[in-house]
Amino acid sequence: MCGIIGYVGFRNARTVSIDCLKRLEYRGYDSAGIGIFNEKIQVFKEVGYISNLEKHIPHIKGCIALAQTRWATHGKVTKINAHPHVSNNEKITIVHNGIIENFKELKQELISKGYEFKSETDSEVFAHLIQDCYKDNIKQAVYDAVQQVKGYYALVVLCADEPDVLIGARKDSPLVIGVGDNENFLASDIPAFLKYTNRVIYLNDGEICRLTSKSIEIFGNDNQPLKREQELISWDVSGAEKTGFPHFMLKEIYEQTDTVHQVIRGRISEIQREVMFPESIESIIKNGSNDIHIVACGTSYYAGLAGKYLIEQLTGKPVFVHLASEYRYYGNYNKNSLIIGVTQSGETLDTIAALKKAKHHGCKTLVVTNVIGSSATRIADGFILTQSGPEIGVAATKTFTAQVLVLLLIALKLGVFNKTIGADSLYQLIQSLKKLPRVVQHVLDQSDHIKKVAEQLVNAHSVFFIGRGINFPLSLEGALKLKEISYIHAEGFAAGELKHGPFALLTEDTPVVAIIGSDETYEKMVSNIGEVKARGPKVIAIAEENDETIKQFVDEVIPYPSNKGGLSCIPIIVIMQLLAYHVADLKECSIDKPRNLAKSVTVE
Amino acid sequence: MNTCVILAAGQGKRIQPLTFTRPKVMLPIANKPIIEWNLLKAKKAGIKHFIFIIGYKSEIVRNYFKDGSEWDVHIEYVNQGKPQGTGHAIGVVEPFIDKDFIVLSGDTIFGSSDISNIIDKQESMGVYEVDNPEEYGVVEIQDEMVTRIHEKMQNPISKKINAGIYHFSKEIFDYIKKTGLSSRGEYELTDSLNNMIQDISIHSIMIKQWRDIGYPWDMFRANEEILDEIEPVINGNVEPNVTLKGPVMIEEGTIVMNGSYIQGPTIIGKNCKIGPNCYIRPYTAIGDGCHIGAATEIKNSIVMNNSNIPHHNYVGDSIIGSGCNLGSGTKVANLRLDKKTIIVSHYGRRINTERRKLGVIMGDNVQTGINAVINVGSIIGNDVSIGPGTIVQGCIEPNSMLF
Repeated sequence: MCGIIGYVGFRNARTVSIDCLKRLEYRGYDSAGIGIFNEKIQVFKEVGYISNLEKHIPHIKGCIALAQTRWATHGKVTKINAHPHVSNNEKITIVHNGIIENFKELKQELISKGYEFKSETDSEVFAHLIQDCYKDNIKQAVYDAVQQVKGYYALVVLCADEPDVLIGARKDSPLVIGVGDNENFLASDIPAFLKYTNRVIYLNDGEICRLTSKSIEIFGNDNQPLKREQELISWDVSGAEKTGFPHFMLKEIYEQTDTVHQVIRGRISEIQREVMFPESIESIIKNGSNDIHIVACGTSYYAGLAGKYLIEQLTGKPVFVHLASEYRYYGNYNKNSLIIGVTQSGETLDTIAALKKAKHHGCKTLVVTNVIGSSATRIADGFILTQSGPEIGVAATKTFTAQVLVLLLIALKLGVFNKTIGADSLYQLIQSLKKLPRVVQHVLDQSDHIKKVAEQLVNAHSVFFIGRGINFPLSLEGALKLKEISYIHAEGFAAGELKHGPFALLTEDTPVVAIIGSDETYEKMVSNIGEVKARGPKVIAIAEENDETIKQFVDEVIPYPSNKGGLSCIPIIVIMQLLAYHVADLKECSIDKPRNLAKSVTVE
Repeated sequence: MNTCVILAAGQGKRIQPLTFTRPKVMLPIANKPIIEWNLLKAKKAGIKHFIFIIGYKSEIVRNYFKDGSEWDVHIEYVNQGKPQGTGHAIGVVEPFIDKDFIVLSGDTIFGSSDISNIIDKQESMGVYEVDNPEEYGVVEIQDEMVTRIHEKMQNPISKKINAGIYHFSKEIFDYIKKTGLSSRGEYELTDSLNNMIQDISIHSIMIKQWRDIGYPWDMFRANEEILDEIEPVINGNVEPNVTLKGPVMIEEGTIVMNGSYIQGPTIIGKNCKIGPNCYIRPYTAIGDGCHIGAATEIKNSIVMNNSNIPHHNYVGDSIIGSGCNLGSGTKVANLRLDKKTIIVSHYGRRINTERRKLGVIMGDNVQTGINAVINVGSIIGNDVSIGPGTIVQGCIEPNSMLF
């Protein structure tokens, strides 16, 4: 995820661009850059926060600019890799958000034509490709260039030969036009320019726009001009980073359709029926080990537990999940083990300490994290990014989902290596993965229903979450979400364990949330619910949508979409996040900043 | 000289709750927004080209005026972007100005002869004499030339204040660029002016008409002043047995029913339903699409568009936002029993309005139930629902429900 902007108008473009970029900092902040036209195109880049970039740019004139704040996915975090990228003749400048899937082929072709590449990024391809296509019309050149590109992009282009024109293009990555008076904007997200205008035009996939300070033209897939009405944004600047959502947490819950897309993109191929990681990662997974140890804290630990069920089920390889704070002192380190650290920030101190110790003992180490360049990525032998973009709400939502999915991809890859997954079942799983964004959207559409159910939990002093199989770690995660943002005491249990103690705490005033899978434990879960109901509490079931029988045993049902591929864990996670969110919202809790908690725990 | 810049970006926090739903310059005085009065008066003084510096809820200004052709003038809009003070706001229009220009504050209504005088004198600013100069920028003058502007002096050296109307040449932009942030964290126009005075002399011009709107209740004076100038015009439909006394203006599409008694100066907008048997007293401005019904008395009040005060109501010295509906029997008190001046609790601050009579300041889309009672000096936010028989007083936050 990156943030890009373009500006053409009458104000000082340097000031406006920096101002707009800061509003996109939530989309990434490992490096930033800006290109301004002032007699010629001048480019400035810096590693680090946008404020760092601001310090290093001289005060220059110019009323047209493009800029980017980067969250690296291709290539290291360096000044050279930062955008904007400039073509060899120094006429074409671009900023890009997305991935060019056929960039190796395009790069080879351009190199053979004599173009020289300066950075490691895929994005640089656009600069040279557009130069290659340019005759006398920058809009036409961008159109011709994007026809050759496979992948996805939001693109802003500035050409020194047409210095009053800004071109925007998008496919699968966001780009919005801000309509001003004697000025126009392009940005990944509306908050960037909301201070200057609240009139927007949404650009659709495959479309290209040509902006000057006084005009906006939009061209469709077929390069024909289109007419598009502008829309008015009613939310104000203070709510802007949340793009209209009342809390970051809710925004991030809703972003999960995209998160799911981001995690699997480029890693599964429906045609080749394959799961793909970089070679170095594949060799770690392949030659790993006798057993796998997942080490993590908090929500990541529960993602690890869910991963255990997925990996064991798909590969038959034993998986042990450890709390990092324990494992680093009391763990058993065997050099034939593969240690997988799971940490959103890549800076969780206990997890890092455990990884260091494991490496010291000669274990292979792998990290699942959201932050490239973080400590964990530097320590481990290999890392896999969850590619979810920055998460601002303290309660992890989209990164948990992404972690579970990455662990699932590892399980699939390992299953292929160990030949425990057949080609057909792999294909079926890949298809289910492709459908996930729609499944998540389906759950999000139920938000109002989940809010109604949440009313049942608002006055509870204690809530139990129960489940079997992978639904057990999901129960733990559901309970964690509820307690950390709504301050209601909540515990997750394996459903079969209730009668071994927790029953003693069960009263009429302890609502129980039961996650019901449609596997061989279905009957067992129903009888567990029967035992619970006998003690009088309300039972809320999270059950498959075509399950009609469960309704007679419980008070409320939240359905999740049926999924034969066994990926029901993802919609269930989203349901529990929404449930916790609505309870906390009804209780008017401080959702994005719960008391006593911090996002990234870098202390012991 | 043919350009007039009007500062219209302000949010108008002191005029909440009315500005929760509109920018300050769109507050209606005698049925026209403040900015429209300034536009009309500047046009009368010969100006055809306007630049509105907009920001907060800019779409409302833009949708109302569009390109200005309805007023036979040309309007250009410039968004201030981040609100960083008056100096910054004027700095933003630099690319659109090619010679000298005049500037009007958006929250003050000026007179057209004063605007003419400012137009006639290059490098000048308007000065007005008030009794409470400590709340404004005090202007120090020598031989009709401004020598310094002092912001909010404790012991003012003169009663002459900066009226917020200027005639500048392009030089002002250089001084704005050189001005640093003030202690309030804004780029103040007065700081730039004080610098400019060192090099370029600025004439002071005493102005005669000046009505600034600082708080909602300041709108009453402005309303009175403008209504005092209206001519009686009847464009609507007046039934028999209606009494109209003094200058009353009734616009097209409005029907005034039998038994209504209307005392001017009063203005009633388009497509209203008035009466039967209601009593409208002087200095009342009723917007478009309103319904004032039977056994209702309204006095010295501003009622904005599409609001209903339909049966058995008393509304005195009040401002009613647009889209409001008062239930049958809802009444507003406007005088303390001890007849003292009314102190208002305005979003955490207690302010003495220096008025003996003040009813309610009501935001947009407020609904009241039957026989609700609103006490003197109440402030009611927008989209508030008030149940039947409820007594309301103090400051009510927007979107509240009171029962």
